[in-house]
Amino acid sequence: MSSDAPGVGEPPLLEPADPPVQEEPFFSRPLGKIFIIWLAMTTVGVLIGIFVPHHVMPTLLSHEATDVWRTIVLFTILAAPVAALVYSVAAYSLIAWRHRGNQDEPPEDGPPLRGNNMVTGVWLATSTVLVLVLLAWGLSVYSSDETSHPGTLVVDVTGQQWLWTFSYPGTGVNTRSLVLPINRPVEFDVTSVDVTHGFWPVALGVQVDANPGVVTVIRASPDKLGNFTVRCSQLCGLYHSFMYAPGAVVTKAKFSQWLQSQGASTTTAQAAALITKQ
Amino acid sequence: MTTDLAPALLEDTHLGPHAGGLYRRQNIWTGLAAGIGLGFVGWLVSHAALQGSNWGTDMVVTVTMVGWVVGFNVGVGTFNGPLRWMLGHDQSHEDELYAAGVGQGRKRYYKFCTDHKVVGTQYLALVIVLFAIGGTLAMLMRTQLITPHTDFLSANAYNAIVSVHGMCMIIATIIMVTGPFTNFIMPIMIGAKDMAFPRLNAMAFWVVFSAIPPLLATFFLGGVDAGWTTYAPLSVQAPPAMDAFSIALIVFAISVTVSGANTIVTILTMRAKGMTFGRLPIFTWASLIGAALSIYAMPALLIAFTSMISDRVTGTSFFVATQGGTGWLWENAFWIFGHPEVYIILIPPVGAMMEVAVTFARKPLFGYKVTVAGFVAISALSIMVWAHHMFTTGWAPTLAGPFMVTTEIISIPTGIIFLCLIGTLWKGRIWTRLPMYFVYLFLWNFIIGGVTGIYLSDTPADEYFHGDMFVTAHFHYTLLGGAMIAATAGLCYWFPKITGKVLNERIGKTAFWMIAIGIQVTYFGMFWEGFEGMPRRVAFYDPTFQPANDLATGGAYLLMLGWIVLLYAGINSVRNGPNATANPWHAKTLEWKVPTPVPLENFLVDPVVTSDPYGYGQPEPVGPPVVLPPHPDRELVPNISSDNPPAGGGE
Amino acid sequence: MVEEAEVSEQPPRTAGTRRGRSKPLGFAITLVVALAFFVGIGLLFHAQTYSAPAGTLVATRVGTSTVNGVSLQHVTLAFNTYPDASGTHNGVAVHPGGNSAWPTYGPTNQFQVPAHSLVTVTIRQYDSGGSLNNAWFDKVRGTVGGTATINGKVVTSINPNNVGHTFTVRGTPGTDPNFFVNVPLPLVPGDSQTDNGKYETVTFSFVSGAKGLYAWNCEFPCGTSVASFGGPMNAYGYMSGFVHVV
Repeated sequence: MSSDAPGVGEPPLLEPADPPVQEEPFFSRPLGKIFIIWLAMTTVGVLIGIFVPHHVMPTLLSHEATDVWRTIVLFTILAAPVAALVYSVAAYSLIAWRHRGNQDEPPEDGPPLRGNNMVTGVWLATSTVLVLVLLAWGLSVYSSDETSHPGTLVVDVTGQQWLWTFSYPGTGVNTRSLVLPINRPVEFDVTSVDVTHGFWPVALGVQVDANPGVVTVIRASPDKLGNFTVRCSQLCGLYHSFMYAPGAVVTKAKFSQWLQSQGASTTTAQAAALITKQ
Repeated sequence: MTTDLAPALLEDTHLGPHAGGLYRRQNIWTGLAAGIGLGFVGWLVSHAALQGSNWGTDMVVTVTMVGWVVGFNVGVGTFNGPLRWMLGHDQSHEDELYAAGVGQGRKRYYKFCTDHKVVGTQYLALVIVLFAIGGTLAMLMRTQLITPHTDFLSANAYNAIVSVHGMCMIIATIIMVTGPFTNFIMPIMIGAKDMAFPRLNAMAFWVVFSAIPPLLATFFLGGVDAGWTTYAPLSVQAPPAMDAFSIALIVFAISVTVSGANTIVTILTMRAKGMTFGRLPIFTWASLIGAALSIYAMPALLIAFTSMISDRVTGTSFFVATQGGTGWLWENAFWIFGHPEVYIILIPPVGAMMEVAVTFARKPLFGYKVTVAGFVAISALSIMVWAHHMFTTGWAPTLAGPFMVTTEIISIPTGIIFLCLIGTLWKGRIWTRLPMYFVYLFLWNFIIGGVTGIYLSDTPADEYFHGDMFVTAHFHYTLLGGAMIAATAGLCYWFPKITGKVLNERIGKTAFWMIAIGIQVTYFGMFWEGFEGMPRRVAFYDPTFQPANDLATGGAYLLMLGWIVLLYAGINSVRNGPNATANPWHAKTLEWKVPTPVPLENFLVDPVVTSDPYGYGQPEPVGPPVVLPPHPDRELVPNISSDNPPAGGGE
Repeated sequence: MVEEAEVSEQPPRTAGTRRGRSKPLGFAITLVVALAFFVGIGLLFHAQTYSAPAGTLVATRVGTSTVNGVSLQHVTLAFNTYPDASGTHNGVAVHPGGNSAWPTYGPTNQFQVPAHSLVTVTIRQYDSGGSLNNAWFDKVRGTVGGTATINGKVVTSINPNNVGHTFTVRGTPGTDPNFFVNVPLPLVPGDSQTDNGKYETVTFSFVSGAKGLYAWNCEFPCGTSVASFGGPMNAYGYMSGFVHVV
């Protein structure tokens, strides 16, 4: 451009001088089309969040597991518009701003937009608000999970290479099946006799590591009848893949019967199942 | 190049017959011989000295591996420089020119060569080999998982493969950008002649190289059955392979720390005149910040693995509960390294990718200062989030809240990175050449990876997902789909400058689509597995998980095929492709102003920088021409070779 | 505008050249080399699958039997546990190719039984032992009647401090999660670091489940390192294996 400007002492150009460079406004027509793409993508994202996890997760048998599902849905719904924003701008850039001429030569330069304080500010503010919402939700769910309730059933969980065993204090029952009564909070006191394992009753939506030499605690509130599997979530050597235990959430009466079938006396079984003597 | 240019270039200096001293006889083969030799001596001595000792085998393996590492580096010439200096017979200028590869042609790539471009190319070759090894191991794993009980790999072999796949890929991704591009491109980008410590640079490469055989030797020593995270006390219980693994990691940690220090000093002290921090290209910022993070994080790894060796070999009990230790100590030490480490992996490639985005959108970087602040914030925060890997360990339930807070806050500066990228694309003139394809793929993948990371940062959700395939899918989306794709964008971008050849785009684009689709299918399959409740690191699984596994395996085969096609494109272009011009992308950063191939010491005349490299769309500033001091070779070798004037002025 | 000074010239593109024709061949070569690499490495690992034991021991059919009023096919299995994996025993290699210093089950760790059958197992336990790390395994579980016969005497459990090994079988994911058999095998008193011919005979019967893969491992820590579960305990083939129910 500078070579076109008249130098000192030269006759003026016959053509009018180039018009002054106009500041291209940061926002103009693209917004409407981007909004449509954004809306479509957000809708897809929200629908995925609402329907897909529920479809592929196992039957959730506890209050905590249902909270996990709700968290996934909420986070997906909140994340979908953000993801869609990035995707829609990227997609639009390929539709509207793509250089379609000779690909061997670069296109002419784009406008020298080095930043936009308003956009940056709004972006920062929105992402901060979103994060605060997610944090508030997560922290409140977490703190309610951690609260101890009266009438909690305590189960001692022992992990070892490569089996789980469970004992019910007070009943003398020591098994490799985890049977729990419905609608009663349970506290798992977990430990290991050798290496670190991961006590993971999947459908109860909680897990905690089994560490040698310490007892770690996790709580759950089973609120649906059903079978579940306890898996090991922390690689523990050769047969880590096979470290499964069967589990079930059953009625109070069934729980008492089961305890007795495992060797508990009738009184201790009924006490453990919170069945009051008739 | 024409012959009358020859005397003007440093690499055509004629050296005497004794220049270089011992270096003349040293190369990778002498290194291998010396390494195997000293390793063997170490094996004999420790075997004889410790026969019958309870810790015998662990000590023997440790001493052998240390013998290998030291022997190899002695043999390849790593210690020549410092030893000669200590003995008062420091290297002469001629020796240093020899060490920089003058007069050796292709052979210098197989030797200890201090030229940063040679080191960068050596790193590139090593990274490709590491990805090939790690990728093969991944394919073995996915093949095992085709049916619930496949009779292909034993549980032992599978666990050993899982561990080496993970660590091999971690090593490869840590060095995939800082090795080739921070070494080759960054010094030219800032107008320097080389790195601040060229000998240290070459040392860092050969030390990493020597760490790989011990890592692979684990397969022959019983296999590491504890994953790449080698949680104690399982790893204390592991076969002697774990000692080889620990030595490999200790050596690797030393290399990365050293090369990080080198990068920082280079960027702080060797920038060209006029290259203020405000004019530094974003890739250089990313390299600086990544290097600073590695100085913080790698020593934590060093401490962790040294303690591991100590527990296994000498009987201390850092990690064994029955003797007063705790596995939690290992987990903390490891993750204090492990979380910043993923940002060491991520930040340099993202910086490289931003250079690509700028060049192929023909626009300045959007929000330069904010982006740099974003990188700094991510790094600073990454130091404070490590225990989100430990939400379910039962270690400190009261700290779950604070770590949830710091982890979720990291998503704010990460969002700034996205803002910068889409702001750069906004109203640009998008030139859809191969490097730009990978930028768009990064945008798609990293959003998915990042969002799923937010799910995991929520402690109650993590209590469902920890240790299952959802976590695996998350970090593959971010590390492979994000960092590695960004690094690939950088590779395609700088390919002409490094190799001097044009990368075949038709083959490259075919590879791109296979990789892009392969990533989605493979890791969508893994998210599905994770939702269903399939644990990680299992060779046998419940039949209900089979459809998801078959989807993931199918995608993995496609993905692997895509990488092979890309590798083929690279090799084919280097062997048969047309030569590249010096600035095929018409970019503005300094590395494109030097000729291809790049001469030794890069610039004949130190460049003077008068503006940042993002002046797209701006009218050329009019000003007095920069008067360069007289130089006898100026008429012969123009050091400007692009269609744009040098950054900021001059005719 | 400054003229572009090209230091390296672009050679003229040649059409239909040797280069153009060799591309498919070059790609095919790359692909074949890559696949050969995968397959080669895969075969190497597959060969490591069994550290040595020789094949699968198929249970011998001996007739039918009635359990809880149901008539079932009756099969028998016999194997041993050894203090070390060296040499042969009754002409059969104890653990071909194994680490000779490690205790092992032998002559193999893979067993095959028919589904829904009565399986009678006889184990000769030649090894010494010690204490379990979890006394839960001192009880006989999952066998017919909840008992095992040790040297002719019927027991339901043994002293948890005098255990040589255990034979503990469970389902793998996909097979019956409630299937479980645990039989503790008592130690041979006195010195038995070498196979000195003394053994404990343990016989028990269980009813096999549905078709599928079942995994067994020993829960007496006779290995090295942490919790004595390293070494042979953690290496497939010595103290672990599979029961194929067909």
